[in-house]
Amino acid sequence: MNSCEGTSIAERKFRKELNAGTVSLVLLALLAREQRPLYGYEIARLLAWISDDEPLVKQGALYPVLRGLSAAGLLRSFVEPSVAGPPRRYYEITDSGRRELKNWSHIWRKVTRLVDIVLIKEPVPPEEETTQ
Amino acid sequence: MSSHAPQSIQDYLDRLREALAGADAAIIQDALYDAQEHLHAEMSQNPGKSESEVLGPIVSSYGSPGEIAEIYLENEDRIRTAMRTPRPQVHDSPWPKRFVSVFADPQAYLAALYLLLALLTGIFYFTTVVSGLAIGLGLSITIVGIPLLLLVLAAVRLLALVEGRIVEACLDVRMPRRPRTLPRDKTLWDRIKRVVRDGRTWTTLLYMLLQLPLGITYFAIAITSLSLAIGLILSPVLSLFGASIEIPPYGDVPWLLTPVLTLFGMMLLGITLHLTRWLGGFHGALARRLLVQAGR
Repeated sequence: MNSCEGTSIAERKFRKELNAGTVSLVLLALLAREQRPLYGYEIARLLAWISDDEPLVKQGALYPVLRGLSAAGLLRSFVEPSVAGPPRRYYEITDSGRRELKNWSHIWRKVTRLVDIVLIKEPVPPEEETTQ
Repeated sequence: MSSHAPQSIQDYLDRLREALAGADAAIIQDALYDAQEHLHAEMSQNPGKSESEVLGPIVSSYGSPGEIAEIYLENEDRIRTAMRTPRPQVHDSPWPKRFVSVFADPQAYLAALYLLLALLTGIFYFTTVVSGLAIGLGLSITIVGIPLLLLVLAAVRLLALVEGRIVEACLDVRMPRRPRTLPRDKTLWDRIKRVVRDGRTWTTLLYMLLQLPLGITYFAIAITSLSLAIGLILSPVLSLFGASIEIPPYGDVPWLLTPVLTLFGMMLLGITLHLTRWLGGFHGALARRLLVQAGR
């Protein structure tokens, strides 16, 4: 049951800090891509399906982020009754959400490019660099 | 946290509430709402399975009650510190500075707005509750009376959420953003019984009734002191346009002396803003007591 088994405190802390902004970006991008209102459970399922068995965060962590994005005016939400089960709260991206998404994805690309360069690229020997 | 997996949705929600014990009541209400919505959606995706079968895997995908509690508490902290406008720190400065600082405090103006608005909302809540209850009770000898009374209780729950939004926006008190969760009982009758037994239903009703006398008082205080202060401040201008500024026992005030009145007006406005901020704090505490904390 315990998902933290086998992960160190440092790893948990790193995940948490990394996820703090990433989840907002993912949710905003997902809602922009789908171009239709989605409800919380649907979003959780969609993300689980996309991420296979390596989910970004616990599904329960998505709801507070959705609420935060709505409070900031990047999403709008409304409740609709469902045929089976309880009423669902649907979320939809707003115009300012789309504008913000543009900025965020720009930042994201810059950050990932930088991280990739530092992380992936083979260290270039100094003499090789001077010949090029 | 107890070691075995939750057996039912109610069990899960109870444990979540337990894990959040001591946290802000408004956070607890929101967290329970989200968990209930998610768990019931999962249930309706798996028809024919029992609650305990569905809940097993959910604890690892949605998160255990302990993990969820941690997430909500952390998230709330982060958002509060990020979104909150920093208050000017004037607690240990000399009193003239403390007095003047109220002019720069958005909270004082928002509280004044709330006090003026309270008359409108008060009239609306009061008439809804009183006419609903009166008609419902009157008709209770017929078949429509009881459903009407229940409708009033349902409307009051909704009004409590709306009022909570207004209170949070104007008075800077954290109020729930989602309606209060009710365990999904088997029958409608069980649900009705639960609403009637819930202490919060009755304190909410009390709040709605109190809002009228309070609203009248707030409105009267705010409107008289604000209009007097603004009138005094503008007295030089008014007097230029030919209005006669009169102070009863002494008669007309000559134009050259009207700036003194402006000074008085500014002082009165300062006092008024201090008063509205204080009244706003008082009302915020009342709203939390009656709309959030009661009948937990």
